Amino acid sequence: MCGIIGYIGSKRAHPILLNSLSKLEYRGYDSCGIAVASGSIEVYKDAVRVKALGKMLAPLEGTVGIGHTRWATHGEPSKVNAHPHCDCTGRIAVVHNGVINNYQKLREQLAGEGHILSSQTDTEVIPHLIEKYYDGDLAGAVEHALGDIEGSYAIIVLMAGEPLVVARKDSPVIIGLGDRENFIASDVPAILDYASRVIYLEDGDLAVVTADGVRVKRDGAEVTREEHKILWSVQDAQKAGYEHFMLKEIHEQPKVIRDTLAEYIAAARPAADLTSGATGLGSMLLLACGTSYYAALVGKYILERLVGIPVRVELASEFNYGGQASAGGRAIVITQSGETADTLKAIKKLNGAGCRVIAITNVVGSSASRLADQTVYTRAGPEISVAATKSFIAQLIALYWLAWPYARVDVRGLDDLVVGLRQLPVKVQQVLDNEAAIAQSARRLAGSDNIFYIGRGINYPVALEGALKLKEISYIHAEGYAAGELKHGPFALLGSGTPVVAIVAQDNTYEAVLTGIKEIKARKSPVLALAAEGDDTVTALADSVITVPQVDPIFSPVVNTVVVQLLAYYVAKERGCPIDFPRNLAKSVTVE
Amino acid sequence: MMKQAIVLAAGEGQRLRPFTVTRPKGMLAIADKPILQYVVEALAASGIRRLVLVVGYHKEQIFDYMGAGERFGVDITYVTQEAQLGTAHALLQARKVAEDEFLVLPGDNLISADTIADFIAVKPEAVLVKRVDNPVRYGVVSIDGGEVGGIVEKPREAGSNIVNTGIYAFTKDIFEFAESVLDIPDALNNMLAAGRTINALETEGTWLDVVYPWDILSLNSIVLSQIKASRGGTIESGVFLKGEVVVGEGTVIRSGAYILGPVVIGSGCDIGPHVCILPATSIGDNVVIASFTEVRNSVIGDDVNIGAGGIISDSVIGRGCIIKGRFTAASGPSEVRVNDESPLVNVGAMLGEDCHLENNVVAQPGVIVGNGCQVRATRLLSGRLPDRSLVY
Repeated sequence: MCGIIGYIGSKRAHPILLNSLSKLEYRGYDSCGIAVASGSIEVYKDAVRVKALGKMLAPLEGTVGIGHTRWATHGEPSKVNAHPHCDCTGRIAVVHNGVINNYQKLREQLAGEGHILSSQTDTEVIPHLIEKYYDGDLAGAVEHALGDIEGSYAIIVLMAGEPLVVARKDSPVIIGLGDRENFIASDVPAILDYASRVIYLEDGDLAVVTADGVRVKRDGAEVTREEHKILWSVQDAQKAGYEHFMLKEIHEQPKVIRDTLAEYIAAARPAADLTSGATGLGSMLLLACGTSYYAALVGKYILERLVGIPVRVELASEFNYGGQASAGGRAIVITQSGETADTLKAIKKLNGAGCRVIAITNVVGSSASRLADQTVYTRAGPEISVAATKSFIAQLIALYWLAWPYARVDVRGLDDLVVGLRQLPVKVQQVLDNEAAIAQSARRLAGSDNIFYIGRGINYPVALEGALKLKEISYIHAEGYAAGELKHGPFALLGSGTPVVAIVAQDNTYEAVLTGIKEIKARKSPVLALAAEGDDTVTALADSVITVPQVDPIFSPVVNTVVVQLLAYYVAKERGCPIDFPRNLAKSVTVE
Repeated sequence: MMKQAIVLAAGEGQRLRPFTVTRPKGMLAIADKPILQYVVEALAASGIRRLVLVVGYHKEQIFDYMGAGERFGVDITYVTQEAQLGTAHALLQARKVAEDEFLVLPGDNLISADTIADFIAVKPEAVLVKRVDNPVRYGVVSIDGGEVGGIVEKPREAGSNIVNTGIYAFTKDIFEFAESVLDIPDALNNMLAAGRTINALETEGTWLDVVYPWDILSLNSIVLSQIKASRGGTIESGVFLKGEVVVGEGTVIRSGAYILGPVVIGSGCDIGPHVCILPATSIGDNVVIASFTEVRNSVIGDDVNIGAGGIISDSVIGRGCIIKGRFTAASGPSEVRVNDESPLVNVGAMLGEDCHLENNVVAQPGVIVGNGCQVRATRLLSGRLPDRSLVY
């Protein structure tokens, strides 16, 4: 998991590379580096953030260069392990995002042939392989070298006096088209300042990029790849008044819901076909990782309640080891970036089993959208904060919209559902307007070492998401539990120093959650409850309450999620954590 | 030539409640755009692209909408005024980021590019003034040979009908005169007392202020009179559109609807069969209007849901209201009490945001309903209802 960037044109590459790299730091930021060619290749790298690297550099003259920001997989974060990596002669530099599985074997081979490899990374074998095969044709040498490699990669190869050579397999890379200059990046936000047209490379593509053009080859033959116009604007990738991207993105959620709905409603047709020809609506498999997995868990409740079919939810990373899919079955796969390696692997497995795959993703042209049979796009825009917020909410909206046409309710019920959905922007805005009260509750949690989140039914995944958000950005140990499960073990951990955040919904779980709160109170844990406006019973029972706007219970995960997002944000802020860039984490994990 | 503008957008606009309970006055929508956006667009059209926005009251609403300014072709820096003590105090917050010369504008008065076209070439310090019919509401400026003689705030008797627009051209010198006062006119009077000259320029351009909720309607109608038609979304066959009608992306207008411009309809809306929308109406994003409802000279906020067979005239409906069938908000002359003033106006209903009205509710002319009110079927609304009222 890393970010890569390349520039070729007539401007000085150095500031462009640094600027773009800083926008890729959400993909990893334990070390970084750039290489610029002007006659010879100059490499600057270290185990520092991009800003610090920028301060270390004197202005470089070259107009061709590559850069990298790293999230360590093979080899600890250090200067020697940072990219770019070079061959023995220092003439070839490579940046790489991905994992090379057979790198040990290749290392030994290369060492045996007299190559000197100095880092612990898997990447370093690539420049040496290219060096070995180079006979005046850089693209040919790259192609030859990649033939030896097993694993995933998006690479950019820099050699003085040559075009940039780009290749991808199972890791994302895009080419941004400018005016007599071109850009290569892991993701669109990195180049929003410079280009508004992009080409998405496909797995197995190799591209030769000059200032004037891009030639894409595949299996030796030249192919054309369609140009896409970027709909995201630079503004989407700036903080605009807010202290952190996370808070900005939390505040964007009413608009995200409105935009996502406007698109779905305008289409005036089901978001995707959930039926399978012979059997109609059968069962459904939902697959995802991380926060998207919790969206999938909410999706289970939505589909089961509205459509009345059995739904199985699995972690993509677990499903890949022995999970079973039936031919002719249906699966919904959720990935914000569309590049999550574990999720992509699961889609391939499902494809192989003859299962129809519907992908929910936020990135047009992403790998997931190309592998799936159908794609439902969320309209969350670029999400920069490592902790996912608006993409999660957009995924929920997509799931509601997927289920809606198949809902087993009468016409009146359907109308109410649509009114309820259309009201969500206002309800979420009301949560945001209540921010000061949520921040105050957060300050009371900030001193704790352990916090439990409980919810039941459709809000159980919200408890999991709330705990995940808190862990991610505030470093407080938190656990999400189904409210009924706390007594099967975790009760032993309760006490006056361990607060419990209880999500109380106005549905069939209400009484059970109240009973749970009473049991917790008996163990002296302070209880912070999320309760609907006007719920005096909970107010009397809990130590403190955050009121949430009244909504139909099926939509309660949307408003409750926004509350737990703000809670996590303000706890982390109180503790002085680096909210947008939590330690050891990266935005989308493109390694398994 | 000026390159920078400091826009004061921290204020609340108390007399505009309930519409300003959750947003600053500058974020009130007129013809589907916040007032602040008109100010920013006027500046961008005049070549002023470096903006400082002084924000305070519900500043997040401004962040969310304006962003870094990219969408409007400007570069925005935000400065926070924690307590809204006055315009001079607001301006002082921007002292560190101010350039040598800059414009100062209120972010909650609606202007257009021609308002400031001549002003940006005037030598600071300078005040933009305008002739108005009712000067006692404003700061009246006495002018002598193109120079300001003095400013009197809300005089009992106006010596002239020339008033201060709150638009200024300053050098950094203003900060030292602003330190000891709360409002900019006082700082100007200090400057005059110190023997400095302040130029005055009169504008013929648009300069509109919203003071009371029903002013939203008059501004809306003035701005709509200048719009040009554009069509997004889906317009079913059998829809009649005449005049300047703007339809946003993803909006569906169903068969039999009759729409007379000037009308603006936002994106993602569902306008039902045989709905009649008459001039001068603005409808926000994600709005549903069910069949056979008539809307005239009104402003409907985002996310509003209006049932079948309603009549809505000269009314403002806040964001997120759910109004069931056969709602009547007819217009008529009424005396509306706001603070200690009770002007006589011709107006329908003013509904705060997130109100929930069941079937057959009738609103008397001039009613002001607070945010989050709930009203049972067949009830009659009159007078002024506080936030979160239950009418059972």
